[in-house]
Amino acid sequence: MQLIFNIKGIIMRILIVDDSTTMRRIIGNVVQQLGVAKEDFDEAEDGVVAWKLFQEKGNYDVVLTDWNMPNMNGLELVKTIRAKDKKIPIVMITTEGGKGEVITALKAGVNNYIVKPFSADVLKEKLDGLVKG
Amino acid sequence: MSMSQEEIEALMNGADSEPEEVAEVSDDTPEESESSSDDSEETNIDDILAGIDGITDDGSSEDNFDDILAGIDGMTDDGSTEDSEDNFDDILAGIEGISEDENSEPEKESVTQTSDEEKYPLPVEKEHKVVNQLNEVAEDSEEKASQIFDVLSFILDENAEIDNYNKQMNSFIEKQIELLESLTTKFPNVEVFKENFELADSLLTVSKNLSEKVNGENNKVFEAMELMQYHDINRQKIERVMAVIRKLSSYLNGIFEDDSGKPEVQIAKHIPGDGTDTVGEDDLEALISEFSDN
Repeated sequence: MQLIFNIKGIIMRILIVDDSTTMRRIIGNVVQQLGVAKEDFDEAEDGVVAWKLFQEKGNYDVVLTDWNMPNMNGLELVKTIRAKDKKIPIVMITTEGGKGEVITALKAGVNNYIVKPFSADVLKEKLDGLVKG
Repeated sequence: MSMSQEEIEALMNGADSEPEEVAEVSDDTPEESESSSDDSEETNIDDILAGIDGITDDGSSEDNFDDILAGIDGMTDDGSTEDSEDNFDDILAGIEGISEDENSEPEKESVTQTSDEEKYPLPVEKEHKVVNQLNEVAEDSEEKASQIFDVLSFILDENAEIDNYNKQMNSFIEKQIELLESLTTKFPNVEVFKENFELADSLLTVSKNLSEKVNGENNKVFEAMELMQYHDINRQKIERVMAVIRKLSSYLNGIFEDDSGKPEVQIAKHIPGDGTDTVGEDDLEALISEFSDN
């Protein structure tokens, strides 16, 4: 699968939140394939670290977050971010594949939802959709 | 089109059930069906074999096998299977550390059994706690997955470098082709220009093929990276088991907990009816009289 889509220039900075190092690297790799430079995305291992980065930097164009994480889970993070920022696109990338969970996440303010395992194409499509808005 | 796990399992179940159906049919008329199915099967195989070019059956296949085997160097058949058994014994006897002991198997079994009895139940120590062990497995798996990712990233980086070198080479070859093409046009009688032009042209194809191979390899690495998501999924499955164990442990602790506030009383060691260790009426009287005499 050759990805020729380039989102650089449209989405500048991405915050990747997942407690699994491997998952963060996988997502990081996919966004790099989409044309985002390594220095244009940050990683956080839980909601607490993510929220800290979000407050400190505050210039993210999109947040990609897992659901189940220690300290502060993805859903709490979404609610916390939404209390401050209503516009930033948030994509939940999680193993939680239940309909109820999807509805809960959407109600909390998630813009899109990806169930693991996902392909690079799926993430590309979702990001593309967010960019085109 | 990829198949879901359910579809694969359904297919596998279907494949498993087919032989059972056949077995059920043959159970009704065992002898008849056995012989008839054997005959038909043999006939079918013969038909199939007859249809394949180069396969003939002259009815002496056994002789042929013997002939073939006889033709292979080192193959001998003296028809003495007992001798071969002796040979195995000789060979085994020649290997250090192998000894025949008829009692070795049961002894081994009993040793294992004893050691297991001694081993279980394991003492309640940190390293034996199931949740801790599962947590260790999950962490170890995460570490190894990260190392695998390092290797895959290294391959991607190296491929990117190969691709860069290839691009440099490609650009040089293209310039050479341009040069040699103009030289060939200007000097059509100079054979070496023509030959080198053709060579450069073929090298351009090699360079393109190399680039395609690298791209193909990169795509496979990306696929492998995507598949590594299953590591995270499996880790979460382990975490779910850990959560169940924690809840079960908490429930069992709660249900067996003594909140009566009564002090612990010493428990009786031998109660009549327990077994042979308890004294009978006669033994009791005998013991009393024995100690009374003293």
